[in-house]
Amino acid sequence: MNAGDFAQIVLVALGVAASWLAAFGLLRLPTAFARLHCVSFAGAAGGLCFMAAVLADRGGDPLGFKSAATIILLLLTGAVFVHASGRALRLRQQALEDRQ
Amino acid sequence: MNLWLTAAVALLPALAAAGWVAAVADIENRFVALELGSTLTVFMLMLLSVGYDQPSFIDLGLTVVLLSFPGALAYAHFLERWL
Repeated sequence: MNAGDFAQIVLVALGVAASWLAAFGLLRLPTAFARLHCVSFAGAAGGLCFMAAVLADRGGDPLGFKSAATIILLLLTGAVFVHASGRALRLRQQALEDRQ
Repeated sequence: MNLWLTAAVALLPALAAAGWVAAVADIENRFVALELGSTLTVFMLMLLSVGYDQPSFIDLGLTVVLLSFPGALAYAHFLERWL
């Protein structure tokens, strides 16, 4: 096993660990606002680890390029999603409090 | 079974946790769990694509990213106004 293979194994293991941690947080954290952190953590930490592992294995071939494009798009849309959903949840809770 | 396929299978418990929260929690937490589930699905499709050495599989992951984003925004809009 050379250094590249070892780096791939470590990166993939880190990506899986980040995904498990996000899922554990989703189960344990108390509110939807706190749980939103898990979504952005999984997308950022897991996505970057998997993207780096695929790029280390495939380099610039079509699969590596498409994987990188997918993760970059996921990061960009994830940031917008977390902002939009946090705003929507806050407005919803405010409306529910006003109704009471 | 290579590294990539093993990692894809290892993501199944995390996806199951997101599915369980999406099934039993209230509507706000369901929304968050749905988005985590779609993120994990993209990871799994990417890993399966590398594991089976099929570049066309990654198009499915790219499509999930592109379709889940407007879906999530529409869900947020409905959650804010009407649900």
